[in-house]
This record gives sequence, C-alpha cells and structure tokens, in this order.
Amino acid sequence: MVDAARVTAPPPDGSLPDEITIWEILVRLPPKSLLRCRAVCRAWRSATSTRRFLLAHNALQPTLPLLYGYNFVGDEVESLDIIPFHQRAGAGELQLRPVARLAQDSDFHHLEACCDGLLVLSFRNTSVRDWRFAVCNPATRQYAPLPLAYGSGVEYSLLGMYPHTPTGDYRLLMFRDSVSMHHQLVPDAAQDGSYIFTLGSGQPPRHIGFLEAEVLTFTFGSLLFRGSLHWRPPGNMIMVFDTTTELFWQMRAPAVPPGHAKLFQMDEMLGMSGFNDAATTIDIWVAQDYESEVWACKYRVDFSVAEFTPRFGKFDESSWVVVMPSDGDVFLLVNFGEWLLQLDIGGKLVATFHRRGLGPANLRLKQTLVQHTFFPILEGYVTNSPPFI
Amino acid sequence: MATREAGKKMIMLKSPDGMEFEVEEAVAMESQTIRKMIEDDCADTAILIPNINSKILSRVIEYCNKHVPTTGATGAAASDTVAPAALAEDLKIWDAEFIKVNRATRFNLIQAASYLNIKGLLDLTSQTTIDTISDNSLEEIRSFLSTKNDYLPEEEQTIRRENQWAFQ
Repeated sequence: MVDAARVTAPPPDGSLPDEITIWEILVRLPPKSLLRCRAVCRAWRSATSTRRFLLAHNALQPTLPLLYGYNFVGDEVESLDIIPFHQRAGAGELQLRPVARLAQDSDFHHLEACCDGLLVLSFRNTSVRDWRFAVCNPATRQYAPLPLAYGSGVEYSLLGMYPHTPTGDYRLLMFRDSVSMHHQLVPDAAQDGSYIFTLGSGQPPRHIGFLEAEVLTFTFGSLLFRGSLHWRPPGNMIMVFDTTTELFWQMRAPAVPPGHAKLFQMDEMLGMSGFNDAATTIDIWVAQDYESEVWACKYRVDFSVAEFTPRFGKFDESSWVVVMPSDGDVFLLVNFGEWLLQLDIGGKLVATFHRRGLGPANLRLKQTLVQHTFFPILEGYVTNSPPFI
Repeated sequence: MATREAGKKMIMLKSPDGMEFEVEEAVAMESQTIRKMIEDDCADTAILIPNINSKILSRVIEYCNKHVPTTGATGAAASDTVAPAALAEDLKIWDAEFIKVNRATRFNLIQAASYLNIKGLLDLTSQTTIDTISDNSLEEIRSFLSTKNDYLPEEEQTIRRENQWAFQ
C-alpha cells in the first residue's frame, strides 16, 4: 500500500502517479518483465533497484508449482526449461512460459530442491558416473556449482535445502554413501551418513552421522514446512528434520500406501496424497492438527487410469503432484505418455498439454530478485552466462 | 436506499465533491484504511475520503458490497444454500464485468484501492495493467502509462544489453 500521506491528485491526463505505478504496479510484475521495465525511464530504473523495493517485490510474488521441461534435439536432451505452473485468475488460461532455460551438458539434469527463490539442480555425466550439484537463482540468473568432495567410490544425495534461521545461512542436507567399485562394496562408516553443507561458508560439509537417513535418498524430494524438512519413506512414519536444532524426529503418517506418496503444503497445512493399489483413486490427506499428528482425508479423487490411457498413453506412477496454483483451487497434474493432464478434485479433465519431457517437479518457486550473498563466494560462480541460455 | 436491518451500524462516507454515501460498517471495513480509522476511533459521524470523486467512490462501495463476507452483512442464508465454489464462480464473473471500464476509470480505481487499502480490488484493477506491461514493447508501455523516455539512445542500449534475456 502506498503511504496515504503521499497520495497526490491524479495527473490531469488520466495516467497514474509515479508512486502508484512503482509501488502498486511494477512491484507486482514477474521478475523478467520488471527487468525489462528498467529500460523504460530513469525513474523506474532507480526506484526498482533498491533493496527495499526488491524485498517488497519478492513478498508479492506468487509461490507457484514448478514444472520441468526437457528440450530435445533428436533423442538428445539439449536443455532444461524451468516452468512455473501459472493460472491466471478467471481466464482459465494456462501459461507455460519458462522463467529460465539451462543448457544441458550432462546426461541427466534434475530439479532437486527449492526455497526462497533458489533452486538446487543435480546432474550426472555417464563418463564421471557420480551425481554433482549446483545452486541457481533463475530470476537473477546466478549459478554456482557446489564444491563437494566428489570422487570415485563416493556418492552424494541431496536430502533437502533450508534457510537456517538462527544464522541466516542457506544450508543443504546431504547424504554421503560409499558405492560399490568393481562390484565390491567399500563401506566407510566413519564417513558415510548425513552432512550439512552451509552455502558460502567456505567450509567442507559437516558430518552429523545419522546413517538412518539413507532411506531418504530413495524418496521423492523433501517438503519444507513450518521450519522443518519432511519426507515420506517406506514405513508408517514421516521423517522430519528440524532446521533450527538440526535434529531428526518422526511423525505419524496417514494411511496412504507409501510407494508413491507425495507431501505438499495445502493452505497452511501439511498435506499428503497417494493413490490406491488399483490406481483408481487419489486420496488427499491434511494434518488437521500438526502438533498432535492428527490427519483427515480431505478429498478422494476418482481417477481412472483406464479412461485416459487409450487417449494419452501410459500413466507414469511416479510423475504426478497435487497443486494449488491459486487460493482455494486444488488440482492434480499427472503424466500420461507425452501428455501432462490437469484434473480437478472431481477427477474431471481441465486442461491438457502435449509436450515430450514435460512433467511436475513437486517443488514450489517464489521468484526473487533480492541478491543472495553466498553466490560470489562459491568457486565457479557465474551470472547471466552459460548454462543459462 | 434499501431498508436497514436492525442492529447494523452505518457509516457515512463523503467524497471531496460533496456527495455522501451511507454504508454498513462491515462494508466500509473492507477498506483496511477505514477499518483502522474506525478501530482507532477516528471516525466521527462522517469520513471524508480525499482524492476519490463520487463516481469512483460509488463504484468502490459497489465492489465492497459485493465482496463483504456473506455470513456477516447480507445474512447467513446465502452461504447455507449456495455452495462456496458456486459463490466464488459468481464473484469471478461479477468481477470480470465490474472491470470492463475505460483506462482512466481503471487508473482511478487503482488509486482508490491503493489509498483505501482494499486488497481484492487492487489485485483486480491492477492485473490488466500488469498484463499490458508484461505483454507489450517498451514504446507501448510508455504510451500506455504516459511515461517519457529520458534515456539517451546509447544508455537505453546498455541497459537492454545488461538484461538482454529479458527482451527475448
């Protein structure tokens, strides 16, 4: 809101006062449009470059579900699009405009974790064989590889990313595994286990043990909710990592088969969904009382694989998410063949997108043009250059 | 004016051109600015709304009337019989009609929504302007918002180059 005391009479030609244009209109633009607008006039450029403005701009950015989109040349993946799933209110119009495109110089490229406008990517070259990681901000086009002690016989997995509130740092929770070399397993109990890596600290990852976290390397990502990371491993429990105390604990999970269960945030509640064994329904549960671990089944979506398969192709059991693109709306995004389908909670088909290599990431991005201070400290840091295209 | 239900507190809003509007307090309090005045006890018998003429103020009141939570002002019956999803759909259609106004009126509504701090109205009125800026060239943005280009040609080129990807 513009300070009431500074509201002036409208300019005579029926345009908007600068104060309103800047603090009510420009502050709501997507980052890319905002950067473009800096070339409109000097006043806009200087007003939209201050930290105060960028913080206000970030606060008004929507938190949008993320899609990944691989671009192919022949059968080779050439680049990866990072696409927020955006639905304009009322228009029923879906926009699949990427916020960034990254050149793919490795054989696999994945979106692993996302918080505060930051994305962690993993990639792997078949020749090197181990997974490597990088962090980027698609809005500021900053990118830096993560300096981990990569090497043969060692494999890192990313368990999650979080802001460490007491210090203001951004941290990654990793798991280090000894892997079999020449068919020989070389476990190293002294070094395997969970690690915490503080971005920009210049320190190597800190070993915190907790070998039990290995099970989390097989789950589909983590959810940051109420200051804790959450995972749904096999078993009856949800694993939780308190990002302030940096300790693990467990909470009760609802009765959803864990195989392809997904955790997500629904309004201000922790949500979990999964489909039944016959893949005919998807149940959506919410933790009505998080502290007491009380769950309730909120929706049961009738979802017929048999109905969609003939039209769209094979259902990918791992590739679906529950999304809330705007207040109160709940949808499912599911992959069938080369199609991404949007279903409402009645199981009705709302929209379809045909694109090979397009799928939901089960991450949410709130874009920010506020600079994160750790980037320049990371070796190999680049801005506005490759791999950004 | 429709007959008032007993017990509903009314507020008088005055525009600078001398018009007076009697509205239910709950409707007026859709504006966070007015809500604060009422809660701080700064609201006497009438509240003067500066810089918002009667034509715009009446449209703002029309919006607030429509958007005031149904359980409060217009009676609980509506929300008991109509599904929330249907109500939301009805509001969306109403909003789309409401915003079919010319550019000058829309700009006036943006200013009124900003001053009165009515989030829903601001979101609604600013969205088309945001879309226009997002979808058009710099020249079109300048003409739409009557903004003058005060860059030297070479300066503008430099700034475009700095953010070249944003122009693709």
